[in-house]
Amino acid sequence: MNAPRAAIRVTDVSKRFGGIVVAENVNLELRSGEILGLIGPNGAGKTTLFNLICGIHTPDSGEIWLRDQPLSRVPVYRRARLGIARTWQNIRLFPTLSVIDNLLMGPRRYPGEALLAGIFGARTRRADAQAARERAEEILARMGLSDARDKTPAELPFGQQKLAGMARTLMNDGEVLLLDEPMAGVEGQVYETIRQVVRDEASAGRAVCIVEHNVSFIRDLCTRAVFMFNGCIEQSGTMEELLASDKLAELYFGGRS
Amino acid sequence: MEYVYSVLVMIGIYTIMASSFNLIIGFGGLISIAHPIFFALSAYASALVNLHWGVPIPLAILLGTLFAAAMSVMLSLPSLRISGDYLLIASMGFQLGFVEVIKNVDFAGGAGGLTGIASIYSGPSRSPAFVVTTLTIAATVVSVVHWLTHGEYGRAIRAMRDDEECFASLGRNPMAIKITIFAVGSALAGLAGALYAHYFQFLSPEQFGITQSALILTMVVVGGMGSTWGPVVGALLLTALPQAITFLNLPPSVMAPLQGMLYTGLVLLFLFVRPAGLVAKRLGQ
Repeated sequence: MNAPRAAIRVTDVSKRFGGIVVAENVNLELRSGEILGLIGPNGAGKTTLFNLICGIHTPDSGEIWLRDQPLSRVPVYRRARLGIARTWQNIRLFPTLSVIDNLLMGPRRYPGEALLAGIFGARTRRADAQAARERAEEILARMGLSDARDKTPAELPFGQQKLAGMARTLMNDGEVLLLDEPMAGVEGQVYETIRQVVRDEASAGRAVCIVEHNVSFIRDLCTRAVFMFNGCIEQSGTMEELLASDKLAELYFGGRS
Repeated sequence: MEYVYSVLVMIGIYTIMASSFNLIIGFGGLISIAHPIFFALSAYASALVNLHWGVPIPLAILLGTLFAAAMSVMLSLPSLRISGDYLLIASMGFQLGFVEVIKNVDFAGGAGGLTGIASIYSGPSRSPAFVVTTLTIAATVVSVVHWLTHGEYGRAIRAMRDDEECFASLGRNPMAIKITIFAVGSALAGLAGALYAHYFQFLSPEQFGITQSALILTMVVVGGMGSTWGPVVGALLLTALPQAITFLNLPPSVMAPLQGMLYTGLVLLFLFVRPAGLVAKRLGQ
């Protein structure tokens, strides 16, 4: 039996900004139901890889595939509608919207986005809006954010902002989930919630990729990890295999003791 | 009494102009100065199809409005593909260029202006009927803008203005929203223009210059950008104020610069002292 085709395949992707190489012949597979850790020092090209997958940058060469569909000509918003959802390192909640309104911006099909369709298809729009609201309430409850639903992002502590950013991404309900440093700056209950959500999403069959500096979090959660350095994938394998690498040990721990 | 009617019609027309410009600049965050040219293009289109082809006036007004929307897409589509800043630059060229075109096209009356435009109403109740029509349409436009900028579509507009890249990464198409807002705003300006043409029955290209852009911007800034009632207050105030100055009986050589200084001064004053305008929007609105 053939192994199932990966949800996301990155094949020979290179990208430069002027003289700076941010991705060099990157090859990567992200499979449904797995949690892939993406580690590496700052400037290694991890977030750039996310930007390439979700379409903010276009590769100079190579191709990115969602199942069998090449994505290079697909704009950012269409990739999200195809089910590629992401979070941001600096959260980027919409500051003028309440938490629930932030979440309501997230579904793949947004009620009433096409103005004429919204006017003439009022019944469908209302049904979509109702469904989106119910889903948003459900996700907020799961994140422990129900009480914060009507607050603006600035009124929330950092940890809750992080949860709200993740909650908004879950509204996509797509196949691929790209999480950019979900654990940076969080601890305690928020940490536990995020860990549980990541596990649940992968169990639900989503392909999850996490950029993270927190090695213990990666080791705890990820089935597989990839080590990036200077825009290249240096090594991939289980976290244990990666931790045996001298280069990683040198970069993260200042050498092998 | 005729004077009062004409001021009331102008208040209605400027309310439509300011509300629709507020949709573009205040809610959409799209900076353009070409608003009066869509007013002009629709005014001329509506007058000319009626004058030359005998199209009934209500249909002519509708055609003028749609023409303004179509022309707005011609401006917004290429410039917004590059970035928002290009819209401002392109809108300047669009505004100045089309005023020159109108001046030099004979069938539109040329620099001397277009006369003999038909009126919607006739008889002794013409002016009151026009006042009622214009103010009703103005109230409808304010409601449409309010409806558009609140609810689901309004939420998307605000999110887009907050963070366009993040907005796109959630599956929303920022270009479609921008072009739609710009087209709806321009169409409404066109509606105001067509009403104007069939009320005053005379159009001159000189009316649609940069000063008009400044006036409408002043209405929006003074009234309150991004609020529903701000442009209404701005339009009311800035239509009444120049009328009040005319009672000073100053010579035209003083009047024109005085009005210009007034607009510029008010914009500067409000941006410094009360940037949210007279009608400050509520937080989170």
